Formats: sequence, C-alpha cells, structure tokens
Amino acid sequence: MFEEPFRWMEAISTRHSYVREKLGKGQPVIGVPYNEGAVIIGFSPQPGKIFEIYDRIALGGLGHPADVERLRMILLDMAHAEGFNRSAEDVTIGRLLQFGLAPALKQNFEEIQRAPYLIQMLLAEISHEGTAEFFRVNYDGYWEKFKQGTVISGDNKVSERIQKNIEDTNFVALTLNKSIQSALHIWEEGRKKPKLEEEPDSSTEANDEVDDEMEGYPTDLKDAFERWNLEVAVLNNNTGRKCLYRLLSASEISALQSEVI
Amino acid sequence: MTEKFEQIHSSGDFFELLKRSGHYPQQALSGIPKNKALEIPQGTTVLAFHYEDGIIVAGDRRATAGNAIMYDRCDKVIPIDDYSLMAIAGVPATAFEMARVLSHNFEYYRRSQLRAMSTEGKVRALSKLLKDNVAMALQGVGGVSPLFAIYDTQQDRAFLYFYDMLGAEFQILTHVATGSGSPMIKGVLEHENLWGTSPLGERSEQEAASLSIRLLQTAAQFDSATGQARPEDKIYPIIAKITKDGYQFISDDEMVDIYKSSMSRS
Repeated sequence: MFEEPFRWMEAISTRHSYVREKLGKGQPVIGVPYNEGAVIIGFSPQPGKIFEIYDRIALGGLGHPADVERLRMILLDMAHAEGFNRSAEDVTIGRLLQFGLAPALKQNFEEIQRAPYLIQMLLAEISHEGTAEFFRVNYDGYWEKFKQGTVISGDNKVSERIQKNIEDTNFVALTLNKSIQSALHIWEEGRKKPKLEEEPDSSTEANDEVDDEMEGYPTDLKDAFERWNLEVAVLNNNTGRKCLYRLLSASEISALQSEVI
Repeated sequence: MTEKFEQIHSSGDFFELLKRSGHYPQQALSGIPKNKALEIPQGTTVLAFHYEDGIIVAGDRRATAGNAIMYDRCDKVIPIDDYSLMAIAGVPATAFEMARVLSHNFEYYRRSQLRAMSTEGKVRALSKLLKDNVAMALQGVGGVSPLFAIYDTQQDRAFLYFYDMLGAEFQILTHVATGSGSPMIKGVLEHENLWGTSPLGERSEQEAASLSIRLLQTAAQFDSATGQARPEDKIYPIIAKITKDGYQFISDDEMVDIYKSSMSRS
C-alpha cells in the first residue's frame, strides 16, 4: 500500500491532519522567565498538565493524557539514569531532546502503521549559568528553543497570538508574582478572537468560527478560575537547593485569583 | 542515554530503572577470603539527636585507612532529599554510592508518582540497600553503618534511625552516635540528656550545635580516626539540622563563631 512515495506522503499528510484535529482543543500552557527563574502556567478541566522532570527541568504538556504520561516517564527515566551515572549537570533538555526524545518521536510519527503520539510539550530549564530556557516539542519530534518564553496550544492561531504577546513583554525583569499575572493576562488575551481591523479580509462568518471553537470553554480569567484548575510551577534559582521545582499551593493560587480578577 | 522507547514504567522504583539499564550497584565480590568479618575499622564519629525544632546531625571530617589519615575534609553528612539527611560511618565508597542511589530513588519516586515517598518507605529503602550489601560487609570490604534523619511533613515531626551493617533499622527517640569514636561520647550524650541543663529534646539550635562540636572534639581526643576541628585550616565539623523547613547546613562562617564560643567553658 505504501510502496509508492506518493502514497507514503499522502499517509503522512493524513496523519498530520489527524493529530492536529485531535490536538485542536488542547488548552494553552505558557512558559515564561521571571527575575529568579522560570514559571509555567496552564488552566485545564483536569489537573495534570505540569510536571517536574529533573532538578532544573519542568514539563508542561497537552494532548492525550496517556501519551503525555508515557513521554513524561521516558524523560524521567532518561534524566535519572543519566544524572545517576554521570552528574546532574549532564542532564539538560538539549541532550534529552536531541539524543533521546526527538529522534524517537519522529520515527514513531513516520511509521505509519503505529499510532502517533497525540502531544505537544513545553519544557523549561534553568541552565547552570542561571538563565531560563524554554523548548517547544511537537508531536513529530520537531523542537525549537526560546529565550523569552513560549507557549503550546492546540490552536495555532491562539499560539501565535500568545507567542507575540510573550515576546512583547520583558518577563526577565518581573518578580514571580508579576510574571505569573502577566502570563495569565496573556492567556486571557489569547482567548479573544482577533479584532476585525487586524484581519480586514476576514468575514464575520470566519470570526464566528473562532467563537465556535471556544464554545463551552472559559473565555476569561474569572470564568477559568471558577470552572477549571490553574496549575503554576516555578523553577526558582535562588532557593539554594538542588531541586528548583515547586508547584504553587492551593492557597497561593487563590491569592493569585483575587489579585488578577 | 536513549532508553527503550516503548516501555512504560510507572512503579516509581529507581532500583528497577537501575537494573533495567544495567547500573545496579555491584554485588558481592568473588575470590576475596572471608576474614575479619564485621571488624572493619569505622574511622569516624557521627552523631545525631532530637532538639527542639527537629534533629541535629553532625560528623567529623577525617577519612582513614588503617593508621593512615587519608583525608581531612570529608563530608559525612549527606543530604538525600529536601527532608532527609544521612550520616555515614564505614567504607566511604559504598556509603557515598548508597547516598547517591537513595537520593535518586526518592526524587525519582516523587517525580514519577507525583507525591513524596512515605517516611516508612524511605527508611525501608536504605534498609534494602544495606541488605543487598551484606555480602560485601561480611567480606570486610564494604560495611556501612549509617544514621538517617527524616522530617515527615505529613505528621509534622522528625524521625531518626540507626542502622546496623546488615540492614536492621532502629528508631531513635533521643540520641545516637556511630563510628569508631562513638563509644567515647555515647555516655556523655546520655548524661547530658538525663542530667544536663535540659533534656536534649528541649535544647535550642545554638545549644545543640555547641554540644555537637564539643562531643566531636571529645571523640577526637580519644579516637585517632576522628578528626579534630582545625580552625587555622578552616576545617570544622559538618553540622546540619533537619526541621519542618527541610535540611540546612550550618555555614562555615557560622561555624567559626559557634566553634569559638563552644570551646570556652560556659
């Protein structure tokens, strides 16, 4: 069936469409720096979006929970085996992705008899020099690195809007609290449909489609706080401890809620 | 570095990961005659006791091989995770390896299972490592007899354990010391607890740290394998505390003052 190159390309193309459609409703996860490290935030109906991978590495994921879990375990295994056999300093996202996850993801995606991973991942790391670095990994193993922060989202248009807003904000200069608040406002902005004047050619009908995609989902922070769970993970480089990861507690989240709404 | 991609593991067991990747700590050596079983010189003194905020753990800095002093800056109090500390007496190679395995074990469990390992689980994990090491201990090349201090955030209290070389764990409610210098100070600890200015469990951090330094100096006075503090070379004992805020080491700068005040009669 796949002997001809065209058939293979067609199959891959169908696979891309299938995965994108499945990921379409994936809710954004935003990773940005702050003056002492990095922070990852995400709203979701069910908790389980943000995880600790190693001493200085955190993961945010969206997609099928079983696939997120499987890839999370692979990252955990690789990071811990490497950290034990060599040193914690040898465990970096760059190495985990380049020599571990990315080639395997790509191979899995192109073996069209196998089920593709329905995931997008955002990884954040505090380098040993103390700077925050962010990585975005696609379901086919393609990965990119960002200095100023990045986002993953099932909807590409939402991703683009949020990414632009992230790049327009100087997160590195902000305190933890301010950085989280800005990221939350950017999350909220990302849910608003683009203004008509920004897209003069787009018809009202087209804008209604964007609305339809968001139908039934929280559209602002107040709504999101009420109906969904907010997860916030912090990598703080100034604790003096080996492990930099910390999840904000329920009381910290409710304090944040009253500040941003 | 690349693991088998298709495997899914969710037990949170780091030992299993080590076995799977072929890195499980070495088992008994073969061809070594059994001799002097359990007569390994444990050239060290480490001690720990409950004080008002948690547990204080202290150790001297000397590492020896027979009569030779090998090293005078050895750190025998090792953080395992944010809420546990291990103090080692015995063969350093095995002890440091155990600490590394244990540290990865707790972190791997916490990260994969999304919850911290229970205190009992942590205590058993060290016991398992010691049991797996029995053959090495009996051959006289790898015996370790550690102290283990944990703060349990669920129960909001600190736990202290002493282990023998075969892996038996003993919970300590007051004080404990191990290593070649420990017999010299165990009586002092008991005396201080019963008839000192106050029971050890009611002492402040300052008092606990001060007592620890004095005990280690006393042990070093009678045991050549325990190193004395050498302020001129900036060598001080290692003292750490474990409280509800996790572990914390007393810094070198603080040690200068504590040492100075502790060495005068008060």
